[in-house]
Amino acid sequence: MSNALVVNDVTKRFGQSVAVDSLTFCAPSGQVLGFLGPNGAGKTTTLRMIMGILYPDRGCVEVLGQQLTDAVKDRVGYLPEERGLYRKMTVEATLRYFGRLKGLRGRELSRRIDDHLARVGLADRRKSRVEALSKGMQQKLQFICTLLHEPELVVLDEPFAGLDPLNVDLLERLLLQIRQEGRTVIFSTHQMEQAERLCDRIVLINRGRKLLDGTLAEIRGRFNARMLVLEGEGDFSALAHRPEVRQARVSSGQARLELRDGADLDALLHQAVSLVRLRRFELQRPSLQEIFVRLVGEDRPQSDAAGSEVGCAQDRPGRLA
Amino acid sequence: MRKIVLVAWREYIETVRTKTFFISVFLLPALILFFVFGAERLAKLAEAEKLPPRRLAVLDETGRVFEVLQQEIEAYNQRNPNRPFALEQLLPQACGGGDSPAASAREEPTAAVRNGELYGYLRIPAEVLVAGSAAACELGRRDQQLAARRDIEQMLNRAIQIARFRSVEPPIDPALVARLQQEVPLIAIDVRTLRVGRDDTVVRLLTPFGFMFLLFMGTMQISYGLLTSLLEEKSSRVIEVLLSALSPLQLMAGKILGMATVGFTLLLIWVGVGYQVAQTRGYDYLFSRDLLFYAGLYFVPGFLLLSSLLAAVGSACNTLKEAQSMASPITIVTVVPMVLWFSISQNPSSTFATVLSYIPPITPFVMILRICADPDVPIWEIVASQILLWLSVAGAIWVAARIFRVGILMYGKPPTPRELLRWLGRA
Repeated sequence: MSNALVVNDVTKRFGQSVAVDSLTFCAPSGQVLGFLGPNGAGKTTTLRMIMGILYPDRGCVEVLGQQLTDAVKDRVGYLPEERGLYRKMTVEATLRYFGRLKGLRGRELSRRIDDHLARVGLADRRKSRVEALSKGMQQKLQFICTLLHEPELVVLDEPFAGLDPLNVDLLERLLLQIRQEGRTVIFSTHQMEQAERLCDRIVLINRGRKLLDGTLAEIRGRFNARMLVLEGEGDFSALAHRPEVRQARVSSGQARLELRDGADLDALLHQAVSLVRLRRFELQRPSLQEIFVRLVGEDRPQSDAAGSEVGCAQDRPGRLA
Repeated sequence: MRKIVLVAWREYIETVRTKTFFISVFLLPALILFFVFGAERLAKLAEAEKLPPRRLAVLDETGRVFEVLQQEIEAYNQRNPNRPFALEQLLPQACGGGDSPAASAREEPTAAVRNGELYGYLRIPAEVLVAGSAAACELGRRDQQLAARRDIEQMLNRAIQIARFRSVEPPIDPALVARLQQEVPLIAIDVRTLRVGRDDTVVRLLTPFGFMFLLFMGTMQISYGLLTSLLEEKSSRVIEVLLSALSPLQLMAGKILGMATVGFTLLLIWVGVGYQVAQTRGYDYLFSRDLLFYAGLYFVPGFLLLSSLLAAVGSACNTLKEAQSMASPITIVTVVPMVLWFSISQNPSSTFATVLSYIPPITPFVMILRICADPDVPIWEIVASQILLWLSVAGAIWVAARIFRVGILMYGKPPTPRELLRWLGRA
């Protein structure tokens, strides 16, 4: 499978601070890649370097198999985190302008504008000025500005932030459609539930470095730690201190226990049955949210032994002084 | 290149469509037209109103001036039927005694002026008839009309002079004196057109200024338009979408090209209007083709220089206020020719003017002033100033491109001059 995007050992500094630190990952063609990380992790900087808006201090980015040239830019769609349109231009003029900038022209451009406006239900507003549109409509217009030229690679920076539920749904449908057409999507988010639903592949970064990279299944599989969920009547708190339990969240009538590798499940269940009247017990894989919180929580600046148990971030780069 | 043209085209269309552009295009020519045609007519309109006679009391202590003055006033009233004077003689005896004769003489007529019975009063002391006397006459009046004061002063002086001629022994005929003093006119001859006899001193004086002003307005207004449009793109965050489609350099080039076209449109309209006005007024010989050619020749690099500097400023700032304070050194320099235009156009080949011609941001304005004032500016000066101008354009674009690339994505505090220098060093 070829890669639509390769980020190879990229570093970017702003003054003293290192925003992106020897980052390497790739986005296979035809897949949806989730680019995750807490605020300030370096997501936007990375995406801007992919788009050629910022230049890396070190390393290189390859888009659609080559260096980012004007011609390649025309095959990529980008939705920045900070969105904006010309307020005084009409919807149609806006689309025409951005379409032309991306290399569309003539009848093809008009056809695409009609088509995309109809797709998001803005066909009757084509003559309106952008400033006269509601916020939701402006968001829709921004999507189709990004997608009008049917880019082979779509790069979206926090696309779901600030959207109303209807537009969240619309954008999800658009993304899945793009994927069905065999095109590639990379989007950054910190909504794990969304990433879990939409992505084929996940890259998690923190403080400019990669913590995790792989398909959803791989990532879940790598985490041997499993969640034991117990429900019933009685006091679960004694379970929290068992050696098999790595971490526990106990409330009245419920306990969520994270098990250590090779934990003796039988012994644990025995004690549970002796303590409380069990109604339900279930073994779960950790959610992406839990993996995220755990990895990022462990990756604090001071603790140099951070994430020693995490076997996923292959060849973790050394930190630059 | 295609993308640069696209950006330029959008910039042009969106700017030309705005109300601000419409106003700036038509307001300035409208003002010029008003001053050329309207003001004169308006003044005539105001003079057409018939005013009641202005009553002027004259205390003639010489006893000889009043009569002559009366004749002058009558002649004046015939020339200005709408705003006549009416003279009344006050007799010296009519005034009561007091501490000082002059002060007591003033008392009654000033009171009459104050309560509105009289327009004014005039006191002519006896000493004025003495040859070489430094004595002054007094005028007290209700309003501050400049023309009235000037007219009264002229008539009074003529009357006193005539009275003086008559009072010497033997008397001199004032009519003879007037004939002897007949002034000789000085006819202006244009050495280039060989035209004769047209008094165009004022027009000639103002033409260089007019040309420079057009160039100045075209450059400054449009460059500042570029600045605001950049700031708008930055604050509405369109900039990042644009940068995902083209490089910062393409964006900057496109915007400057678009705005330069706007500036050219503006200048074409203005020069067109100016040409029409000159034609109808018979001053078309002042609008030579050479001059128009030079205006274009200096507009292009002058505009590029200023607009690329302002583009750099605009990219580094976030609000108009920040940008204005950062651009103020540039603005101040460009105002220099506006202040010095008179001395430059009066002495276009002075060392002073020559030196000013080689300070890049103001080169176009100074050169156009000099060429207008004296079309025979040496050709080497034109070539040298053009070379210098284009070199500084190249330098400014280089600097601007670097600042632009870093600054365009910077939000927050505007950079200090030191930070700007550091940006220049970045690849």
